[in-house]
Amino acid sequence: MTTRTATTYQWSARGFVAPGVILVAVLLYLPLLWTVYLSFTHYDGLGDPQWVGLDNYVEMFTDPGFVGSALNTLLWVVGTLIVPVGVGLAIALLTWNLGGGIWLRLPFLIPYALSGIGVGVIWSFILSSGGALDQALAAIGVTDPPRWLIDAPLNTVVMIIAAAWQGVGVNALLFTIGLQSIPKEPLEAARIDGANGLRLFGSILWPMLRPLTAVVVGLSIVASLKTFDIVWSMTKGGPGTVSETLALTMYKDTFVNSDYGLGSAIAVFLTIVTLVASIIYLRQQLSPKNEI
Amino acid sequence: MSRIIRIVVLVVLGLVWLVPTYLLVVNAAKDPTTFTTKQSWIPTDFHLFQNIGDALTLSGLGNSILSTAIYSIVSPAIAVVVGAAAGFAIVALKLRRGFLWFVVIFGGTVFPLQMILLPLFDGYSRVGLYDTRIGMVIVYTAISIPFSAFVMRNFFTGVAASVFEAAVLDGATTWRIFTRMYLPIASSALVAIFILQATFVWNDLLLGLTLTQSDDIRPIVTTLSGMQSTYGGAQMSTVLAAAVLVSLPTVILFLCTQKFFAKGLALGQY
Repeated sequence: MTTRTATTYQWSARGFVAPGVILVAVLLYLPLLWTVYLSFTHYDGLGDPQWVGLDNYVEMFTDPGFVGSALNTLLWVVGTLIVPVGVGLAIALLTWNLGGGIWLRLPFLIPYALSGIGVGVIWSFILSSGGALDQALAAIGVTDPPRWLIDAPLNTVVMIIAAAWQGVGVNALLFTIGLQSIPKEPLEAARIDGANGLRLFGSILWPMLRPLTAVVVGLSIVASLKTFDIVWSMTKGGPGTVSETLALTMYKDTFVNSDYGLGSAIAVFLTIVTLVASIIYLRQQLSPKNEI
Repeated sequence: MSRIIRIVVLVVLGLVWLVPTYLLVVNAAKDPTTFTTKQSWIPTDFHLFQNIGDALTLSGLGNSILSTAIYSIVSPAIAVVVGAAAGFAIVALKLRRGFLWFVVIFGGTVFPLQMILLPLFDGYSRVGLYDTRIGMVIVYTAISIPFSAFVMRNFFTGVAASVFEAAVLDGATTWRIFTRMYLPIASSALVAIFILQATFVWNDLLLGLTLTQSDDIRPIVTTLSGMQSTYGGAQMSTVLAAAVLVSLPTVILFLCTQKFFAKGLALGQY
């Protein structure tokens, strides 16, 4: 063996790492810092930003529109946890050790590869007044259907269902991979002891799936906090602002109302919430208690 | 639960899940001149290819597809190599404080895009990159780098150090070792990252919305979103056909490469 010291290739190593560091620094970190700075200023893109301290944050928390948007975002987080994660796990368990599982999972996987706007176009069409859903309801005698995309909070709920339609497949896929990686021996032992169905799930499968579930739940929370595309496509946050999410409110305040300071403050708030959520699930995932 | 019940439940649920896709395809295939929003469930005619043809000329969707193809091929291709180079520097060349530099690069993905949209818009407008193809390629590349570096660092950790030592004894330069040995060994990982990032770029709305305005620069999903607002009433079947066209490449790619996706997703890409 040669005795390569850590100093041998330092210049070369710096050269290899530099393009990545420079691109990320200039295009991601520099804008990030600028947004943090702008959140403490009044700025409309003309002239120079005026330092106003915490004014934007005070304005943000006292604005009923922002509070509504935050509550909608919370509804998105809870909704996408219950439906896509729950149904995804159910599908993975149902197809587990079943011949032809790949084909039975296929219908759930197709929507996943669609863009958020693609999903929005389909579901706007289905939920429009007198659209496919209303026609189906009329056929069974419901002549006065709800106004799906207009009444709040119904519009947020139906958009969460649209997102769930898209998201179930990938969770099913992740849980399937988790189930396939469970060692066979404890399963066989439990079966011989007479465990099956719910008991098998509770005593063996669930403990083994817990670390993976933490990842799926964490990914789901972080993704739902950033919900933008589907809402942009189906309601644009309306009517008015009733179906806005934080990501949408940030976009509108910034690029429609040109209130750069307030938009930046919302971005900072959203980032902090996202980071806290990521840390919680990463800690959960890495905690030794889960190493079963 | 018995096999039969499981299969029945899955088939019924699967059919329910296919309903929106069925409605999309059936209505995207209807002749716009006789199209009615009152009769959505029954197929009437097969006008899909004509509708797709019409969609291509609406809102400049055709040009948009060309631009989007460039973005979703060039950016991920550059990003996988840049990410691999960073992983190579940290693992094989033992870059001093390598873990710190890794955290710096990887940290670029942990915050939402909202955090950088406005400064990017502002900065791009000032330096003349706003509404340009090169500007879009640069930003998509930068966003794809952290994940790429993350996977490649992990991958190279599994390559024995003796591979590098042997090459050095043969007198190879680090550049040669990287391009002739490390990149080829990593080809499967490189392809996996490329597929994931290409799909991400293809499906992006937010950056397209913020950093472009003209038809031939706008990415395809952003164009589709605009078409939905502009033509959603009068030419619904054309808009639905556009949605089919926009979705086909990623759906096919995804179904052919499920395993790569699942692995990447488990690593933190969503």
